[in-house]
Amino acid sequence: MKPKKLSVGMVSLLVGLAVALVVPLIIGSNQYNMVLVTTVLLYGVMATAWNVIGGMAGQMDLAAGAYLGLGAFTVGTLLIKWNISPWIGMILGGLVATGFAALVGYPLFRFGVTEVWYALSSSALVEVLRVLFLLWEDVGGPVEKYLPFHKWSLYHLRFSSYVPYYYIMLGLLLIALYANHRIARSKLGYYLLALGENEDAAEVLGVDARACKIKALMIYAFIVGVTGGVYACLYGFIHPNFFDGLQSTEVAILGIVGGMGITYGPLVAAILLVSGREFLRSNLSGQLESLYLAVYAAVLIVIALFKPRGIATLLQDAYKQILSRIQRDKNVQADTTNF
Amino acid sequence: MVDTVVQNLISGSLMGCIYALIALGLSVIYGVMNVVNFAHGDFVMLSMYFTFWASTWLGIDAVGTPLFTFPLLFFIGLLTYYAIVDRTLRQHYVTQIAVTVGLQLFLRAFAQIAWHAQPRALSYSLIQGRIEIGNYTIILSRLISAVVSVLAIMAVYFFMNKTWPGRAMRAASDDLDAASLVGVNQRRTYAIAFGLGSALTAIAGGLLMTFQQVDPTMGVRFGLLSWCVLALAGLGSIPGMLVTGVIVGAAEALSMALWDPRARSLVVYLIFILVLWLRPRGLFGRK
Repeated sequence: MKPKKLSVGMVSLLVGLAVALVVPLIIGSNQYNMVLVTTVLLYGVMATAWNVIGGMAGQMDLAAGAYLGLGAFTVGTLLIKWNISPWIGMILGGLVATGFAALVGYPLFRFGVTEVWYALSSSALVEVLRVLFLLWEDVGGPVEKYLPFHKWSLYHLRFSSYVPYYYIMLGLLLIALYANHRIARSKLGYYLLALGENEDAAEVLGVDARACKIKALMIYAFIVGVTGGVYACLYGFIHPNFFDGLQSTEVAILGIVGGMGITYGPLVAAILLVSGREFLRSNLSGQLESLYLAVYAAVLIVIALFKPRGIATLLQDAYKQILSRIQRDKNVQADTTNF
Repeated sequence: MVDTVVQNLISGSLMGCIYALIALGLSVIYGVMNVVNFAHGDFVMLSMYFTFWASTWLGIDAVGTPLFTFPLLFFIGLLTYYAIVDRTLRQHYVTQIAVTVGLQLFLRAFAQIAWHAQPRALSYSLIQGRIEIGNYTIILSRLISAVVSVLAIMAVYFFMNKTWPGRAMRAASDDLDAASLVGVNQRRTYAIAFGLGSALTAIAGGLLMTFQQVDPTMGVRFGLLSWCVLALAGLGSIPGMLVTGVIVGAAEALSMALWDPRARSLVVYLIFILVLWLRPRGLFGRK
């Protein structure tokens, strides 16, 4: 039997993973840089998860912050009140987020809220949750609730260094990528692609659009909810501002400019844009505060205007070009050997 | 108790008239060219800052500043249309969201650079004072703001129904191809619509500055709020916009007074979500 050939995607994934694994060895001593790379991964996880509902199912969900916050509050509250390990809390947080997604998603899809109205109502949802948690003083409230301090405890998921969080986030990213990959090649994935293209046509062909969209929403909510649990431990406190409308929108924008429906697209966008933004922030803000934000926003606009299908398509085009060049070279060789 | 409710109904409704004016700008943009504009609230923020500038540098009262800010915002709207929005017309609405969210971030960053992220407020305005009617107090600046808003809305209504550019906009909104056939210049009509939609925020900004301060992050709230008013009213009904604006303003004031000041936007957003579920065309929708 011939050994299975490694695909280009697999090779680049392995190379990327190898690089990601050694990053803390290089910059691990600088905690500021570790926070930055962990933040980049955080956005990467959320944008990759968003790809399931936004990219594949074509629903402009702007509620990533809602699921992130729910996960964070589940983990934080369980740990503070009952000393339950975040490892358990994380899963529960994911389930809480999933349950909430189902609760909200059912009427949304049942009443046919689509396109911009779906986007706006999901955006409003984040704000609704933020205010509710602000008013619910037992769990939220206007004052930060700090997680118990531990110098190095795996049970409490509290470390005095950011390196472990980085690796946990990397693990979540792999899970999110794998989920994307599997869904894209499953029946659900094809259904989602079909209804993302044209919902009416897909329904005529027998796709249960509502059920598929809810499934996609729940998968996305679960991953983001689990991430929220890690987020709470990373920052060491919980606060209603975790329900951040602008951050949620940003996740969706990363998904869009990365390339909707392309598994690695949102990740590429997160890596390039978020790390670019943070680089600008630390280098530009000396002269003018917020200049980095203006540059970042301008880059977003330019990409969205001129590459509306996403920056991942640039990679795809480059790959195709290389392939065709190799093909041509082979043909030339074949020609010269024939004559 | 009854006094509190009535008092807040009055002041909330007055505020709602300004919301209606802001949402009318959004409705002109979305209704005419079907462009999803997430940056509308930041135009409000921008015009409030311009009001601050005009007022402190030129020494005119906030009420008078729309004389300068209205043309300025109209011009910025035109610029935005030709530079950015025009290219997204044939694109998916998702691209429009991405572009206008980028614009939103850009305007916010611009405000933070230009005004150093400090809240700004004007020290006084001509229209200060209050009117006492029985047990109730009406703040004069709010009353005049509401009256000016209603007048501006009526002016837009007149413009849309009686003038050629306004009719062209409505025609383009109904059927672009047919409108083009009878001589409506699509690009110019759209550009004017975008300029007008943005310029309306200049009036609202001037009025808001008479009793409120401005900070760079408030654009998000106004943006979502004006989408709420628009969704509640539905497209195509200008008087309906006024009614829903008042509903939103009153709901906001009541939930602040009777529940908790922090619950300000909660009730509004809940109404918004419920209306989207139950009456997707809004209360007065035409299409």
